[in-house]
Amino acid sequence: MQIIVDKLAVNYELKGNGRLVLLLHGWGDSLVTYSALMNYLSPRFQVVALDLPGFGGSEAAPEAWNLDNYCFFIAHFLDKLELSNPYAIIGHSNGGALAIRALSMECLRADKLILIAASGIRNGNHNKQLLIKAVAKTGKLTTFWLPKPSRQKLQRKLYGTIGSDMMAVPQLRETFKLTVKQDVQADAAKLKLPVLLIFAKHDPAIPYKDAITYHNLIPNSKLKEIDSSDHFIHHDQPDLVFKLIGEFL
Amino acid sequence: MNKLKIGVIFGSRSTEHDVSIITAIASIIKPINLTEEYEAVPIYIDKLGRWYCDPALADINLYTKDNIGNYLAKLRPVLLELNGGFNLIKPGLKDKKLKIDVIFPATHGTHGEDGELMGMLDLINVPYVGSEMPASVLSMDKSLAKIMAEFSGIPTSRFVFFYAKEFLNNQQAIMMRLKDLNFPLFVKPVHLGSSIAISRVTDNKALVNAIELAAHYDEKIIVEEAVNNLVEVTLPIMGNNELKPALLEQPLLKDEAFFDFNTKYMSGGKKGKNTKQGAQGYSKLPADLPKGLYKEAEEIALKVYRVLGLKGIARVDLLIDLKAKEVYFNEVNPLPGSLYAHNWQQAGTSSVSLISQLIKLAQERFEEKKELNTIFETNYLKQY
Repeated sequence: MQIIVDKLAVNYELKGNGRLVLLLHGWGDSLVTYSALMNYLSPRFQVVALDLPGFGGSEAAPEAWNLDNYCFFIAHFLDKLELSNPYAIIGHSNGGALAIRALSMECLRADKLILIAASGIRNGNHNKQLLIKAVAKTGKLTTFWLPKPSRQKLQRKLYGTIGSDMMAVPQLRETFKLTVKQDVQADAAKLKLPVLLIFAKHDPAIPYKDAITYHNLIPNSKLKEIDSSDHFIHHDQPDLVFKLIGEFL
Repeated sequence: MNKLKIGVIFGSRSTEHDVSIITAIASIIKPINLTEEYEAVPIYIDKLGRWYCDPALADINLYTKDNIGNYLAKLRPVLLELNGGFNLIKPGLKDKKLKIDVIFPATHGTHGEDGELMGMLDLINVPYVGSEMPASVLSMDKSLAKIMAEFSGIPTSRFVFFYAKEFLNNQQAIMMRLKDLNFPLFVKPVHLGSSIAISRVTDNKALVNAIELAAHYDEKIIVEEAVNNLVEVTLPIMGNNELKPALLEQPLLKDEAFFDFNTKYMSGGKKGKNTKQGAQGYSKLPADLPKGLYKEAEEIALKVYRVLGLKGIARVDLLIDLKAKEVYFNEVNPLPGSLYAHNWQQAGTSSVSLISQLIKLAQERFEEKKELNTIFETNYLKQY
């Protein structure tokens, strides 16, 4: 289904009846990431997932957005569908960072939060961030003399070595830069609701120490460590992850 | 033997830009190049409306691997010389001129299938595949096509159309006009194909949201009543004067869903592995209908084709109330995605034969039109 929110066409899926569960996908991903989880939850809950602007079947905003812009947008999206505040929010990766920020800013309210391999702790990757910034600035200077295709190829290579996420959606490069600047640790510390943290021990994208940091910051949090999984834990270990979610909700 | 140069125009400023690339490369250029008498010349219009012509533009990898931007940056857009046929000028140190013998439009939706391109081709006076401007305009405006059908005694579901501006300026007045229609309703932008921004709604709130969505893409919107006990079928038809139908095809729908863009193009629909019926894996081919109803649907589709003045090829979509045994005209596609080659194949026409027949029909039509007198000698100027 599509709907217009804040002048952007947004793709979404709404399924089931009961208390509302909002699903937020990560960077470069789409609501399709949650297809199996939606089927699992919809007999018990009303589940809504959207393609965030710029991803999947949703239009990108004309200007660069930070986490706050996305948070307000999600709130407007729920208003437009006349859905009440969600009972629970589930966020994967950047979707987790968004959920933390939205709850902290109180543009969304929920009774429970589940973070799957959530990003949002930025100082752990401080050197990487600095490098991204440097390349973003100097990349232009050092490659400006090349013909456009070669320039783009080289820039792509430079970015690729340090932040492949940025190039996953090239038109959202500026949004990506704004997003990775925003650390949500202070927001996480404000959360009072019960939070389930599902993190993979050997996640190549999110270091496991981020899970421990979140666990220490959020007073009412439970941490579940998954042994053999990539960053997409809900795909790699669906039975285990769905069971954990089902029990927590 | 000098091969006839067939200029395949695709892409363009349309929400169906990407679908057009697949139609052009897989269903037109590839079979053309398998023939002995024709040679395909890919003519790509990018999303900003710039025209390019280069043999490498026929390589699907350029588009699927996201390399098209880089590749186009190396090319210079082509120029079009209007005198003496369709001549492309490739700018360079010494300009190269390429004369195109027949145009095969492969553009879907706006700025292409909607008649704009056909108008230009008529003005240039070059043979081209498919319907001319008036039939394309009628077909690509769902409300005009339905009005034409109704006027000719062909049943259609009840509908109301209006302009997006009217809705934005006076929502209440439009909602009043829609009050006579019974839910569930379909809301559609009148000019868009591939099921883009089409919604099925069952209450007023969803109706308003769906109209907003349609208004995001088009200036004109149609709201139609749904048909009960629905079986949706579609019939590809070929011909100018003598018409040749392919097979009635019945898309397979999930639950209460309808055939939206995702179902058609994104969910593995056309390459779906889960259904055995239909060459594209998402439909029953031929449609599973009682013999009498099948015949009636075919006749109605052929009548629509004639009434709208379609030429070359088109696909007519019908809605059937299976219990009441009523057939309704839904809409028409003057350039079916991928030419519905899978359907023609099953009907006994190979892809190569299909494009060869379409090119011949284009040439025949061009010759036919030459017989029309466009010069009317008068002495008006002398009297002035």
